[in-house]
Amino acid sequence: MKQRPLVLQSLLVALFVAYMILPIIATYIFSIATKWDITLMPEGYTLEWYQTAFDHPYFSITLTNSFIVSIAAVLVGLLFIVPTTYWVHTRVPSAKPLLDLLMILPFGIPAVVLALALIRVYAFPPFARSPFLLISACVIFSMPFMYRPVSNSLMAIDVHTLTESALSLGANTLQILLRVIAPNILPGILSGSLLVFATVFAEFTLANLITGASFKTFPILLVEFTRRDGRIAAALSVISFTVAWLASIAILWGSGRGRKPTEEALGAR
Amino acid sequence: MAYLELQNVSKLFGAVAAVKDFNLAVEKGAFVSLLGPSGCGKTTTLRMIAGFEMPDAGALTLDGMDITSVPPNKRGTGMVFQAYALFPNMNVRDNVAFGLEVTGHPKQEIDERVREMLALVRLDDTAKRFPHQLSGGQQQRIALARALAIRPRVLLLDEPLSALDAVVRVALRGEIRRIQLELGITTVYVTHDQEEALSISDRVVVMNQGLIEQTGSPEEIYRQPQTRFVAAFIGTANQLNGVVVDRTQVRFGEILLRAPVPSGLNESSKAVVLVRPESIAIHAAAPTDAHNVLEGTIQTITFLGPITRVGVDVGGTRVVADMAASNRAAFTHTQHVWLSFPPDACQVMANQ
Repeated sequence: MKQRPLVLQSLLVALFVAYMILPIIATYIFSIATKWDITLMPEGYTLEWYQTAFDHPYFSITLTNSFIVSIAAVLVGLLFIVPTTYWVHTRVPSAKPLLDLLMILPFGIPAVVLALALIRVYAFPPFARSPFLLISACVIFSMPFMYRPVSNSLMAIDVHTLTESALSLGANTLQILLRVIAPNILPGILSGSLLVFATVFAEFTLANLITGASFKTFPILLVEFTRRDGRIAAALSVISFTVAWLASIAILWGSGRGRKPTEEALGAR
Repeated sequence: MAYLELQNVSKLFGAVAAVKDFNLAVEKGAFVSLLGPSGCGKTTTLRMIAGFEMPDAGALTLDGMDITSVPPNKRGTGMVFQAYALFPNMNVRDNVAFGLEVTGHPKQEIDERVREMLALVRLDDTAKRFPHQLSGGQQQRIALARALAIRPRVLLLDEPLSALDAVVRVALRGEIRRIQLELGITTVYVTHDQEEALSISDRVVVMNQGLIEQTGSPEEIYRQPQTRFVAAFIGTANQLNGVVVDRTQVRFGEILLRAPVPSGLNESSKAVVLVRPESIAIHAAAPTDAHNVLEGTIQTITFLGPITRVGVDVGGTRVVADMAASNRAAFTHTQHVWLSFPPDACQVMANQ
């Protein structure tokens, strides 16, 4: 009798994991399959699709472009969203509901509407259909992903008192932000950066409409391949996953390295 | 001119005045406490000294300089908060060093000062620990060391002991006073705990509803409260409402109490006679040679360690009296008793 809920629980978990993992595994297998349509497992295995993808002249260009846009979106987000969130939390808490509401807007406005509106408003150089406009659009689009974790982290610590105690010790706003607030909301900043990076890296609609062929991103290339050969598209998807995971590891590793020296220096003393 | 002065300082929050026309002069090296119930404006006053709140009127001067509009990070005031507010990402050493590092002191000087400060608060061996690895009392001592490390011109403490256990609280308040005397640092201390304020201060400022009720030494505040509020807030004072008969007598119900009536009170004006419980003696039989004898029935007997506090119903008025705990056995609930107190233990005030 006691076992039953446990069995049910395990079954639910297994089903959920399968639901999440199976498509990814299938994509991986498909990317190295010679032919996989009427059989249960592929008829043979090959790395040909990866070769084709790597050899494509646009492969490295689109990958670089996607990196540029994603990293720029993360940096702009860090530069604007984090200080703004901090400022609203400490100085104008009454504006927090308004900011919360603003941060939901990107979810409510379809990417198509956002892209077309931006194209019409910023129809003049140097913005018109430029990577700058794409990056700006991506920042707006991914804003909530940076805002939410940062805002939650700020709520988890006593920002107000920490700020005041740093102030009374003679620190200026920049020192407070960099030395006191940022390290204490680092988990939020990190997960925000990761979410923004991943979202923007996989973003298709905005890139396709704003820059299109003039500044192709990786997802545009991927979509082009799905029309030609699903197996090459699968190989590109796997590369895309890998990039996202590598980026996550790099960010986590980078932040870990940033903190270590102080601890080591202290250990030596 | 005093070292730290607040002149006609007022602060409004919306339409509510948190602090009204506040005047205070603190001499260099003095320990002054702002004491009052929550919402009396004591914390707002402290925050104005720190620069976290801007006064709506009035001026603040520190060491001869007008600091009214100086930002908090340029005032050189060290602040200790109720919630410790240590930086959780830094270890003890970095916390204490923070104020010196952000103002660009050389590393050698910082290291020396950190050692000195940790020795001062007797936590030399905690330099590498993080705040979450310390007890509340230890964290507050580090917060004190951090505030003192910048050699502030004034040390500000905002209910620093309120979050601590009773035992730690008493020990740490002694530590704070020792360190304050050792450094001779001018200190403003905010608390709602009258015992705390009386035990460590040179001067106590009792506040109520944004106004100063009384300023004086702890003894003055305790022995000669100037207002009914102070009398009621500091210690426990019995308040007997009556009518002035002449310069030495006040009628309380049917009884004539002998008490020194101040010159400001006229005959037949309403007055209140204040008597501390420790001045009242309890008798099982009617005393023959005592002044100011009241008759009543025991309602409560409360054991308080060295003393036992007895609550007596005197014709509808509750009067509390203290006695040595050893006399406890002589009395029981609902027993009929007599209370007496000498005239010079009474303080008479107008009853507004």
